[in-house]
Amino acid sequence: MVDIRQGVLEIVSTVLEKAPGEISLDAHLVQEVGADSMMALEILAALEKKYRIVIPEEKLIEMTTVNKIIQLTEQSMKGGKKK
Amino acid sequence: MDKKKIVITGVGVLASNGVGKEAFWDALEKGRSGIKEVTLFETDFMKTKLAGEIKDFDAKVYLGEKGLRLLDRSTKLVNVAAKLALDDAGFAVTPENTDDVGVVVGTTLGSVWSISEFDKTALREGPRYVNPALFPNTVINSPASQISIRFGIKGFNTTIATGFTSSLDALKYACDFIHLDRAKAVLVGGVEELCLQTYLGFYKLKFLAGAKGNGPELSCPFDKRRNGIVFGEGAALLLIEDSESAKARNAKIYAEVKSIGYAFDPFRIHKYNRRGPGIREAMRLALQEAHIDKERIDYISANANSTKEADLIETEAIKDIFGDSAKKIPVSSIKSHIGETFSVSGGMQLAAGVGSLERQFIPATLNYESKDEHCDLDYVPNQSRKSRLSNLMLNCFGPSGTNNVVVLSKCQN
Repeated sequence: MVDIRQGVLEIVSTVLEKAPGEISLDAHLVQEVGADSMMALEILAALEKKYRIVIPEEKLIEMTTVNKIIQLTEQSMKGGKKK
Repeated sequence: MDKKKIVITGVGVLASNGVGKEAFWDALEKGRSGIKEVTLFETDFMKTKLAGEIKDFDAKVYLGEKGLRLLDRSTKLVNVAAKLALDDAGFAVTPENTDDVGVVVGTTLGSVWSISEFDKTALREGPRYVNPALFPNTVINSPASQISIRFGIKGFNTTIATGFTSSLDALKYACDFIHLDRAKAVLVGGVEELCLQTYLGFYKLKFLAGAKGNGPELSCPFDKRRNGIVFGEGAALLLIEDSESAKARNAKIYAEVKSIGYAFDPFRIHKYNRRGPGIREAMRLALQEAHIDKERIDYISANANSTKEADLIETEAIKDIFGDSAKKIPVSSIKSHIGETFSVSGGMQLAAGVGSLERQFIPATLNYESKDEHCDLDYVPNQSRKSRLSNLMLNCFGPSGTNNVVVLSKCQN
């Protein structure tokens, strides 16, 4: 799942306009990295588009760190790709 | 109660013939046109190929790397214009003055590209896959709002979408706020971007020069061969201030907004009123409010956009209003240099007008070769002219019935 980690980090770093190396995988994206709610929505939409998955919107509040986003993405992929 | 005197203290302009006031004024003075082949999109399936496009525009050069990723071209253009205007004026937005600073942007087509791209993604890839962060670009007040966000401006923020006259209508609105003591400084002007969607719309309406018949694809105001506009893009913002505030901070004062004459003439949708009562009334009001004799107008910056009707209507209106002195007043159109920039055309005229007062020159009407017997004023053909200028009249009107005329006067610092 290295490629998923890379893919997620790429999306998060693009949205936050930071280099991937600047974002610690367990840093709180809002409190420590400067994300906001619009960025969270953008990350969610970008993940769904890249991996053709559906992440329920109620999961948005769980997307607090890169590692948690990776877990959510993996779970969604295991749950089956959207047709 | 005496009206406050309103002055221009900063100029931020991005046009196809020059980015920044000095480059823009140089190009106008030397007659360097910005109208060239379009490179932003393919024009293979159209007869027309030209536009006033700002080549190699890179907002990062002016605004830095961050915060630009989601902004569309209009918003980037107008934010650069804001930065240039504020820098030129030496005006710092601070926590102490921010509530007294406003933003008014004239734009009508500024979101067309963003709306279209957003919808295209939804249709092609499915509504689930649109980027929600791009949705704010689809609203018409996005360019103006992004200026306030970027520069921390907390005063009023308004978008004026009245087509051709948007920028000068924005100026009137901005001046009203200063007169009412609700602002001390306002960034005012307009923006339009060049994109396939807009260009195609004008092309299909046969509004572009060369789109119908065998007319040349040329912006040649007042010339007999004129047969439509060449579309242009750009952004022009000026910082205007209550003159007392400007003096208090020792600002360089470029010009005074002496008067604004506005007239609305609802006639037919997208059709000029051939008799031109609106532009006559706007010129009359502007002269009346300026309290200066018409003989003291040294130059008229024309609305003329190379359409058959508008250029003739304007010529006849000038002759009616100025009478015997009409033929003595130089009249030229900068749209021969940069095309019809639509909502920002008035902003471009303001920025050019400031340059004319500052450098004491009159831009030429380029591409003037074949005389139209009905258009018989001094159009400053093909070569700019040095001249002593104190008072300028800027005309702006469109086929939707809006007419706006501004008198700009030189200030002694």
